[in-house]
Amino acid sequence: MIEIDDLHKRYGDKIALDGVSFSVKPGEMFGFVGANGAGKTTTMRILMGVLSADSGQVRRDGRALAFEDRRRFGYMPEERGLYQKMKVAEQVRYFGQLNGLSPKEAAKATEDLLERLALTGRAGDEVGALSLGNQQRVQLAVALVHDPEVLVLDEPFSGLDPIAVDALAEVLVERRAAGVPVLFSSHQLDLVERLCDSVGIISAGRMVASDTVEALRAREGRRLLKVVVRGATPDWTTGLSGNITKNGDEVLFADANGSDQEILRAATAAGTVEHFGWERPTLTEIFREAVA
Amino acid sequence: MNGLWLVARREITTRGRTKGFVVGLVLSAVLVGALAVLPRLFSGPDSFTVGVVDSPALQSALAGAGQQGEDGTEVTVKPFADEAAARKAVLDGDADAAVVGDRRTLADGEVDRELGALLESAHQAAQTQKQLSEAGLDPAKVSAAMRVAPLEQVSVGADTRYEDVRTGIAFLLVMVLFFLLLQPSMYVAMGVVEEKGSRIVEILLTSIRPWQLLGGKILGLGILALANLVVIIVAGLGAAVATGFSADLPPGMAGIVLSALFWFLLGYAFFATMAAALSSLVSRQEEVSSVISPLTLLIMATYFVSYFAAVEPGSGVARILSLIPPFSTMVMPVRTAGGGVPFWEIGVAAALMAVATAAMLALGARVYERAVLRTGARVKLSEVVR
Repeated sequence: MIEIDDLHKRYGDKIALDGVSFSVKPGEMFGFVGANGAGKTTTMRILMGVLSADSGQVRRDGRALAFEDRRRFGYMPEERGLYQKMKVAEQVRYFGQLNGLSPKEAAKATEDLLERLALTGRAGDEVGALSLGNQQRVQLAVALVHDPEVLVLDEPFSGLDPIAVDALAEVLVERRAAGVPVLFSSHQLDLVERLCDSVGIISAGRMVASDTVEALRAREGRRLLKVVVRGATPDWTTGLSGNITKNGDEVLFADANGSDQEILRAATAAGTVEHFGWERPTLTEIFREAVA
Repeated sequence: MNGLWLVARREITTRGRTKGFVVGLVLSAVLVGALAVLPRLFSGPDSFTVGVVDSPALQSALAGAGQQGEDGTEVTVKPFADEAAARKAVLDGDADAAVVGDRRTLADGEVDRELGALLESAHQAAQTQKQLSEAGLDPAKVSAAMRVAPLEQVSVGADTRYEDVRTGIAFLLVMVLFFLLLQPSMYVAMGVVEEKGSRIVEILLTSIRPWQLLGGKILGLGILALANLVVIIVAGLGAAVATGFSADLPPGMAGIVLSALFWFLLGYAFFATMAAALSSLVSRQEEVSSVISPLTLLIMATYFVSYFAAVEPGSGVARILSLIPPFSTMVMPVRTAGGGVPFWEIGVAAALMAVATAAMLALGARVYERAVLRTGARVKLSEVVR
């Protein structure tokens, strides 16, 4: 288990992190979301040891992280970095060996990964000659080549086409199934919602929410009641309490907790009730609410 | 150690394959090879053909002298029937000069100085012997008496016999060391900024320690530069041997070569570390040349003082500069090429430079480690040295 405990970081007058804490369990995929400049990258760089925190600690299974632990992590930094003049396979092998693989193991792992990421045909090309999307796949291969025990990926999906997104998602799901804690940040909330078991929302250097997706939905106070009534006069909602939004026959009631039965009675009286139910808030809605 | 070596190997394979390195290697070898041959090309011929017409005394004296000049000059004697034939041969270039009747020398223009001196001494010897014999002395005794051992040269001051060659070697060393200290240091600086600017350093430093990354880079590029130096030395000495110039090389060439290698290693470690530390302060290639300007200035200054030392290797200024780091890295090998450097001075210079290099390594590693992950605006040196 990876635990981030009360990280504080300040750049001059600007507070970047103000007590960030969360944890990622083995075999859990954790989506890290937040607006630009909220502190995601700072947190992940501290986690990877390329930046030091003013205070706070990062632990793995209760022990403070050391250099040797991080060698077994797979890391993809926010700003992509590869040697432009080095060939694809050569580069992936190099990083495999730097992380302790033997030349043979590194060659094997590289071959397998390039195959998975549909880069086999480009193995002998210089990285600089590849499209940005393909460079990103190489970057991912660099992060994965040594079969890491923990994955920390900063915006791994940005700039990828839908097919590459699927390929990457598949690899991450597979790593999760192997018991690896996977932490990644993203602005693509639908993707986070689809893939992640847990989500952490950071805003202005503070964690405003961190829980499983289900728990976050349940905790969301502003639930919406959606009612669709055919053949009703538009004014059937008059007198009902709650924050009402109308869109043709569809009516959304916010803050309808407690008055739902009253609304149902009014709806059946007004016409044919085609739909009556609680809307599950999307992650986007949860996010907007959380950072508002 | 494995990480250090992996980094070094990557530097060697990727930098060694670049056009810039290969061109530099070939050009420097060709240039030094050519410079080693050049004095030979300008020193004139080393074999002469002399026509003789009715000059039995000179002819026998030249033959008796073994047809060999003092520094390996060969003289071939070619008899002609009459003066007209000899004149024609000289004009046609078939003979460098011709001697007629033991009295006159014919040449197309002036007689070559070396050949002239050779002919004159042969002539003097032949005529002396002839006149002494004619005066009634036993020819056998005369010729025995004529065999005089040449004067042995002993220098009571500095040995200046090879002064010109030594100066030539010193100038070559100045050029080669300047090139081989500056070029790989630039490569180190560019490599550091490439990694910092692309943030690849973030991934690297989660896998290996900063000293492994920095040390591997300096080691790898140093091995390339050392290989370049060895190629240059081999090309220069090879060209000298191939053209017969090696006979003119001063004694102690092995010492001169070893000294160049030794000082190159110390100087490279010093300048390359300085290049790495300074360049780790910036994140963009465009900023490299300005941030490492203190380094370029220092190498240029070392170049100029060693140029001076090549001209005046025995001067007091050269002696003092050859002790002061980092000037000693170029001035001392240049003085060594000049010859006559007391052993203790080399020892003191080496000790001082070793201390300076160790200090630079410690300071440079500290600056690099603290600055290389701070991307963005240029990092102030004062912020990372403390």
